[in-house]
Amino acid sequence: MSCQSYSTTHPTIPTNNVDAIAGVAVKVVAFLCNWCSYAGADKAGANQLPVPAELTAIRVMCSGRVEPTMILECFQKGADGVLVLACHPGDCHYKEGNLRAYCRAELLECLVPQLGVDPRRFRFDYVSAAEADRFSQITNEFVDQVRALAVRPFKN
Amino acid sequence: MSSRARTAVILCTCSGIIAERIDWEKVQKLLAGHPTRPVFRVDQLACGADNLEQLETWLKEEKPERVVVAACSPRDHEATFRRLLIGAGINPYFLQMVNVREQVAWVTADPVQATAKSARLLSAALDRVQRQEPLVARKVPLRTEVAIIGAGPAGMQAALTLARAGRKVTLIEKEPFIGGLPVRYEELFPNLECGPCLLEPVMGELLHGHESEYVDLLTLAEVTAVKGTFGNWTLTVKQRPRFINPDLCIGCMACAAVCPEHRPHAWNAAGELAAVDAPFAGALPNFPHIDPAVCLKLKGEECNACLVECPVEGSLAFDDTARQITIEVGAIIVATGALEKQDVPAAFAGLADVHTGYSFERLLAMNGPTGGEILKADGTPPQSVAIVHCAGSLDTNEISYCSGTCCRAALKYAHITAAKVAGVELTRLVREQVVPGLDADSQLHHDHSAVSRYSGLGALSVDGVGAERRIVCQDNGQSIAAEMIVLMRPVVPGAGTSKIAEVLELDTNAGGFLAQLHSLSASCASNMKGIYLAGTSRGPGDIREAFSSGTAAAGLALSELVDGRDLVVDPQVAVVDVMRCSGCGTCLQVCPYKAISWNARDRIADVADILCRGCGTCVAACPSGAITGQGFSRAMLRAEIGGVLS
Repeated sequence: MSCQSYSTTHPTIPTNNVDAIAGVAVKVVAFLCNWCSYAGADKAGANQLPVPAELTAIRVMCSGRVEPTMILECFQKGADGVLVLACHPGDCHYKEGNLRAYCRAELLECLVPQLGVDPRRFRFDYVSAAEADRFSQITNEFVDQVRALAVRPFKN
Repeated sequence: MSSRARTAVILCTCSGIIAERIDWEKVQKLLAGHPTRPVFRVDQLACGADNLEQLETWLKEEKPERVVVAACSPRDHEATFRRLLIGAGINPYFLQMVNVREQVAWVTADPVQATAKSARLLSAALDRVQRQEPLVARKVPLRTEVAIIGAGPAGMQAALTLARAGRKVTLIEKEPFIGGLPVRYEELFPNLECGPCLLEPVMGELLHGHESEYVDLLTLAEVTAVKGTFGNWTLTVKQRPRFINPDLCIGCMACAAVCPEHRPHAWNAAGELAAVDAPFAGALPNFPHIDPAVCLKLKGEECNACLVECPVEGSLAFDDTARQITIEVGAIIVATGALEKQDVPAAFAGLADVHTGYSFERLLAMNGPTGGEILKADGTPPQSVAIVHCAGSLDTNEISYCSGTCCRAALKYAHITAAKVAGVELTRLVREQVVPGLDADSQLHHDHSAVSRYSGLGALSVDGVGAERRIVCQDNGQSIAAEMIVLMRPVVPGAGTSKIAEVLELDTNAGGFLAQLHSLSASCASNMKGIYLAGTSRGPGDIREAFSSGTAAAGLALSELVDGRDLVVDPQVAVVDVMRCSGCGTCLQVCPYKAISWNARDRIADVADILCRGCGTCVAACPSGAITGQGFSRAMLRAEIGGVLS
């Protein structure tokens, strides 16, 4: 990508940000579909697996409901990372909404760098209703990755 | 809309489990300044029956316009709290749940962080719930009649199951006779049961039993058009003339005996039918059928042979004409079946005494061309029989799947052949052997035929003729005596199946069969609500599956269409704003349920709320932002995004 406008330098935590020092500076939004990934998140809870406190879930019925502009709006409103978690291919409760979401995610991955957002701040993945471990693992991995990135230059 | 609707917040401790990590006092303090000025209440166990009564009283006193419940997952208790709101006189869609148990308390070790996260989620829920709209579930009267397409075992079983429950059924069969494929079979695998003994009572009950008054059978009939949605379908059926008056004909078949014109018998490799005839004695319904392409009189020639012989005047109705019938039903069951692939692979084409499963099945049948004797075309029994399994199946050049039934049929053929032809040399050429089921166990273990493994049809060639004929297998150099050859051809969708898929706009799967809503959990439902699937229209299967799926499809129709119970349409569906819709048609392509149709008059998209399942894919896809996902609208989700990021 030749037109990167996001910072790739080492993280610099502003010392005047108390939250940042406490390690909870980042805010991550996760769009979860009701039938698979939200159920997987519930199962992670039932199994008492760790999920980062920085992650807040927004439940939608299907990952296909998530509009790309909503993801951009998350970044605009200060999200440090956005996750979209869908049913595995072939398992969508609505047959193919997850594939629509996948196509949109592919486009977004190309689009976000143009808007000054490091593409590592966006991730699309699949979590089934049974994959409590996978939900915990993906959310921790992603939040760790976002924490390690530089503070977003255009973040309010 | 007011952004400051009076909001009640119910904070549940879940018998203390939530309170171990989340400090509800602190949360209330953090949210005290929220612009909505919420009223809080902490409950030990919000969902408890006693507590729900108290909550209802409290809500009636507080009279909030919106309610937020912070408790367990909405997947657990959203319906419970919606009912609470209804009881308290509040629209149930003014509820927003915050999942603080599974997704905060149980996954966040640090109580400070858990409390802060809960406050953030509650703040977002307070913002979101302001934008929620009162929704009312629409009620639609449903018809309870059912149309069943296909009168094979699956369709007949579905019809009987529904008729026993007092449901009006129209059973639509394209052939002149009912019973589907198994009426051609003498014995059925795995237990070599008598096929006619199994089927005739079923057909008899359907035509003449106690419940037959509920069944309207249309033979020679095909569905040509379908309109409507779940609960209210209108079918157009075209019925070809039978040229027989069913009210008068006594089924004596005297006409067939004297008819001078004959046609090939479609089922049998040999044998003929008269122009007025039935495929076998006892075919049901018990009337002959006249083939207008063969009958001299119907072709305008001089012939009165049958009229002279017929003992009941008026039974032969040469003035019979095609009819168009309109049927109104609530649900449709498709049981259009499958077929054995009928073409013969190149290596065997044109050779004498080569049978596919169906034609061999007719040799075994008492009412077949040889009266049940296994005979070659020259009328003598074969000295050797080779049965080729997987002939065209498991083959990426032909049919890649395993039909799953042919091995059991092949073992049946081997067993019967060994019993009927003394001293026969019997070989089964196999690629894989698929013989599932407890009762098929004896089929495999009591089989005494020689077994030779081959890699694919390309490895087989036929050499010699008559008693010297052999199948040569390149894989192992074996030469297998094959005076008679039986090819176990793959099972493919019946002609009626692909046609009905087009008429009903049903999806098909890779094999061309009708796509199931879910292959495991909803295998008798199509992707279209109110259209159910039975038998081999869904994929290859045996008679057992045909009967059980017929019962299952009828069960779905019975449970979804109940007399006196209206259809309650979930209001959380997509709604098109007619002023904003540009008519681009994007949504029509993305809807997985064909719930969106093109309104040609206004050049916009129309959503049928009965068919919409509320996934919201069209909402996200609409380039004009003209579709609202009720319950998950853009305004609600944006408020929630703003809330969690505040």
